[in-house]
Amino acid sequence: MQVNTARFGLLDIEEDKVISMPQGLLGFPEKRFILLTPPNLGPFCWLQAVENPNLAFVVTDAKNYSPDCGYRLTEEECLALELGEDSAVIFLLIVTMAADPKDITVNLRGPIVLNPERLIARQVVIEGDKYPIRQPFFAPPGGTATPKKRAKEKAAA
Amino acid sequence: MLVLTRKNGEAITVGDQIRIRVLDVKGTQVRLGIEAPDDMRIYREEIYLQVQEENRQAAEWNLADLEKAVHQLSGHGKE
Repeated sequence: MQVNTARFGLLDIEEDKVISMPQGLLGFPEKRFILLTPPNLGPFCWLQAVENPNLAFVVTDAKNYSPDCGYRLTEEECLALELGEDSAVIFLLIVTMAADPKDITVNLRGPIVLNPERLIARQVVIEGDKYPIRQPFFAPPGGTATPKKRAKEKAAA
Repeated sequence: MLVLTRKNGEAITVGDQIRIRVLDVKGTQVRLGIEAPDDMRIYREEIYLQVQEENRQAAEWNLADLEKAVHQLSGHGKE
């Protein structure tokens, strides 16, 4: 299957890598995405809409950023994502890019929850001061100078 | 849209698990008490709209900025 993207040209993607987001991302109608993890992008991946070349998000595995975000899912969300008790789950944080890296932020309030086995994902809204919508990327909580850089391949479903 | 008028202390029920009661009315502010299952997500509409707006902003990015960020990271990585 070929996916046309505005930023990266035409990509050849296996159909079984497509992530379905039945509810889309808040504010966007697109329901099918692919997660691409180019090795040269460090902790960043990008989430590309299959049907809209222009729509793509820079995302990062929450584990790269803060190992313990403490997100809890509701029963209804687990059901929708087909998550069992022992299912793996990946939380992707959407990154808001900026011309000055200091201004780059991650959205802890609206993580994308991905079931990496079933490839179903959903954006959830988590309330609470602990989860700001714009957390500076280069100053994560805990005072480390840079986000942790492990598991960059892991987000590949 | 269903429109209901309620007085102070009165409530509405949504399905059999959710009850929303008017606790107080002061000028233009209304205090609501919400009884719902623990694990249901309930939040002020603004929060939802903020995430929507942030999504919109996050969708506007270009490769040059991403490359700059990756560069910054790799620079720090050598410390």
